[in-house]
Amino acid sequence: MSAPAQPPQVKALNCPNCAAPLTIRGFEHTLTVVCPNCLSVLDAKDPNFAILEKFQAKQRVEPLIPLGTRGKWRGDPWEVIGFQVRTIMADGVPYSWSEYLLFNPFKGFRYLTEYQGHWNDVTVLRTLPEVAMSSGNRIARVLGQTFRHFQTAEAETTFVLGEFPWRVHAGERARVMDFVAPPRMLSSEQTESETVWSLGEYTAGARIWEAFQLPGKPPRPVGVFENQPSPYTGSVKQIWLLCLFLLLSLLSVSQLFLIFDRQEKVFEHSYDFKPGATQEASFVTPEFDLKGRTSTVEVEISTDIANNWAYFNLALINTETGQALDFGREVSYYYGRDSDGSWSEGGPHTTALVPSVPPGRYYLRVEPERDPAASGMRYGIVIRRDVPSMMFLWIAALLLVIPPAFVTFRAMGFETTRWRESDYAPSGGGGD
Amino acid sequence: MSVTANCPNCGAPIQFLWSSAVQTVCPFCKSILVRRDVNLERVGAVADLPQDGSPIQIATEGVYRNHSFVVVGRILYEYGEGGWNEWHIVLNDGSSGWLSDAQAEYAVSFLTPMAGLPPADRVAPGQQYRWNGVVYEVICVTRARYRGVEGELPFEYWDKSDVIFADLESRDARFATLDYSDPQPLLFTGETVDCDALRLKNLRQFEGW
Amino acid sequence: MRHPIYLIYGLLLLGMVTLAEYRGWTFTSVNELKNVPKSVRDNPGAYRSHYMYYARHVGGK
Repeated sequence: MSAPAQPPQVKALNCPNCAAPLTIRGFEHTLTVVCPNCLSVLDAKDPNFAILEKFQAKQRVEPLIPLGTRGKWRGDPWEVIGFQVRTIMADGVPYSWSEYLLFNPFKGFRYLTEYQGHWNDVTVLRTLPEVAMSSGNRIARVLGQTFRHFQTAEAETTFVLGEFPWRVHAGERARVMDFVAPPRMLSSEQTESETVWSLGEYTAGARIWEAFQLPGKPPRPVGVFENQPSPYTGSVKQIWLLCLFLLLSLLSVSQLFLIFDRQEKVFEHSYDFKPGATQEASFVTPEFDLKGRTSTVEVEISTDIANNWAYFNLALINTETGQALDFGREVSYYYGRDSDGSWSEGGPHTTALVPSVPPGRYYLRVEPERDPAASGMRYGIVIRRDVPSMMFLWIAALLLVIPPAFVTFRAMGFETTRWRESDYAPSGGGGD
Repeated sequence: MSVTANCPNCGAPIQFLWSSAVQTVCPFCKSILVRRDVNLERVGAVADLPQDGSPIQIATEGVYRNHSFVVVGRILYEYGEGGWNEWHIVLNDGSSGWLSDAQAEYAVSFLTPMAGLPPADRVAPGQQYRWNGVVYEVICVTRARYRGVEGELPFEYWDKSDVIFADLESRDARFATLDYSDPQPLLFTGETVDCDALRLKNLRQFEGW
Repeated sequence: MRHPIYLIYGLLLLGMVTLAEYRGWTFTSVNELKNVPKSVRDNPGAYRSHYMYYARHVGGK
C-alpha cells in the first residue's frame, strides 16, 4: 500500500505582478489562473506562477455568481472556480454570454452559461453525435434525441477570471455550432486541435439562485432563448383535443334537437300578387294549431321574382290571447351577364324563424309590398312548427374554436421569436 | 488473494492485491519490481509522482457493469494541456482493465487484440475504424510524456519516453484508445462512464471537501 | 388536465345552446304586441304593425 499522503490543499499565493493574494481551488487540475486584481493570466504549473499575459479587458465584468461560491447542484456540492465571457459578432453587432466553471474534486467539471437572464446547465458529452440533413434541415442526433441546427458562429473569449483546467489565451477563438431540442441544446466547439461536444439543459435562474444561496433575484430573461422550453408544449394539442370533444358534444346536442323537434308543417298555400296593387294587399291565413312546448315557428316564403324585390310584413297572431308577433322579410333577386360572365345577387326565397311562440291557435297576417311598376308575383308560404335554429350551433362552434386558435397563435409566436435569433431568421442571421 | 514477498532493495514487505501482477512499485523505496517466477527483481526506481487532482487512489473500489473492482496500480501521463491517469483495475472475476481518468472524466477499457491497427504516423483525428462491429472515430492524437508508475501493473512498463495515444469515440458512448508505447500498437476498447455509475469508494480526501 | 377554464367555458356554451334550442330562441327580432282585436281577422287592413324604428320599406337595389 502507498504511504498515506496529505490530502491536496487549497493553495494560497500572491500575484507575481501586483502581489494581490489569490487562491487556487481546483487543486492540480488548474493550469491557468487569473489574478482578480490586475487580471494577469498566470501559469499555475510554474513554480513562480509565471505571467502568461496581461489580460487587457476592455471592460471588467463581475460574475453574477462570485468565484468561490459553493452550492448544491443535482445532489452534489459544486464550487464556482472560473468565469469567462465569450462574444460572437452577428451583422456587426457583438453578442456576449457568460460561462461559469463549476468544480467538484470527485465529480470533475461542469458549466453554467448565462445570456440575458437565460441559464443553461452544461456538461461535456463524450459520445459522438451524428450530424445529418433531414428534409432540408440540418440536424444532429445523439443518445436517441434529434436536435435542430440553430446557429454557427465564431466565438472569441473576451474576458476571463478565476481558474481553468486548460490554457487560456486572450482572444481565444472557437467555431461554435448550436443544435436545439428544447429544453436541451447540443453544442460543438471546434478549435484547430479538437472538437468538443457538450449538452446543455435550460435552467431557471431561480434554481441557481437557490442552489448557490445568492442574494437578490436572478436577472429577468429577455426574449426567447434558443433552447428555452415553450410554455405551450403539449398545451396546444390538449386544448384542440378538448375542443374536438366539445364540438362533438355540440354535434350530439344538435342531432338530438333535429331528432326530437317536431318540424311539423302546419300551413302551406300559394298566392298571386297582382301588379299595381300596393295598397291594402294584406290578408290573413286560415287558423292553425301550434302544438307542443313554447318553441320556434318557421315561415318560409318562396317567390318567382326576377330582377325585382318584394317585402313581406308578417304578424303571427294568437286567436285566444290576442298577442301578435310582428316581423318582416325582404326578398330581392337580381341577375345578369357582363364582361366577367353571369352574376346574381340575392335570391327569390326567404325564411324567418320566429322565437319562443307559445302553443295555441294562430293565424298569420301577411302584407306584401312591391315596386309599383313591377309585374305580378306568384309566391308560396309554408309555416312549420318547432324547427331548430342552426345559428346557435354555428356561433357556438365558432366560439369553441377561438380559444384553441388563440393558443396556437401564441405558441407559434413563441417559436417565431425563438427562431428569429437563429441563422434561419428571415433577415438572414441574428445574435446568440 | 494476496501474495507476500519482500522488496529486494529495502526488505519491506510487499503485499500484492492481484495475484497476476507482473510489475509493482515498492511503496517505501520506490523501486520498480518485476516478478520473475518466485523472486522479485529490481529493475529501476520511479521518481516521486507529481501531485495531481485525481480523487482516485490505489485501493479505491468501485463497480463496473455489476462487477466490483479494486484499483491496484497506475500509470501517470502528462501532455501540453495537463495530465491524466491510467488506473489499473482488477475486477472480481480476475480480469484486468483500465480506468482512464482525465479531469474526472472516466472511461473503462480493456486490452482488445486486433489486427491491422494503424501505425502512429498514420493515425489522425476524423478517421473512422470498425472494430468488433463498432464504428469509432478518432477524436484526438496526443503526444504524452510518461511521468511514472505506481502499484501493480499487468506488464512491464517503466521509463518510457514520449508516447503517442489516439483517443476514439463512438456514437453510443463507447471509447477506445490506441497506445503506441510499444513498437506494436495496442488497442483498448470500452466505454465512457459516468462518475456516479462507478460508485467509487475509498477515494482521496481534499481539503475543504 | 390543462385548460380547465376552457372546459368550463365550453360546457357553459353547450348549456346555453341547449337552453336556447329548448326555449325556441332565434335571431329573428320580433315585435310583440298585445291585445290585437279579434276583428283584425275579418279586416286585416285595420291592423298596423307598430315598428319602433321602421319606415316604409322603399327597397329596390
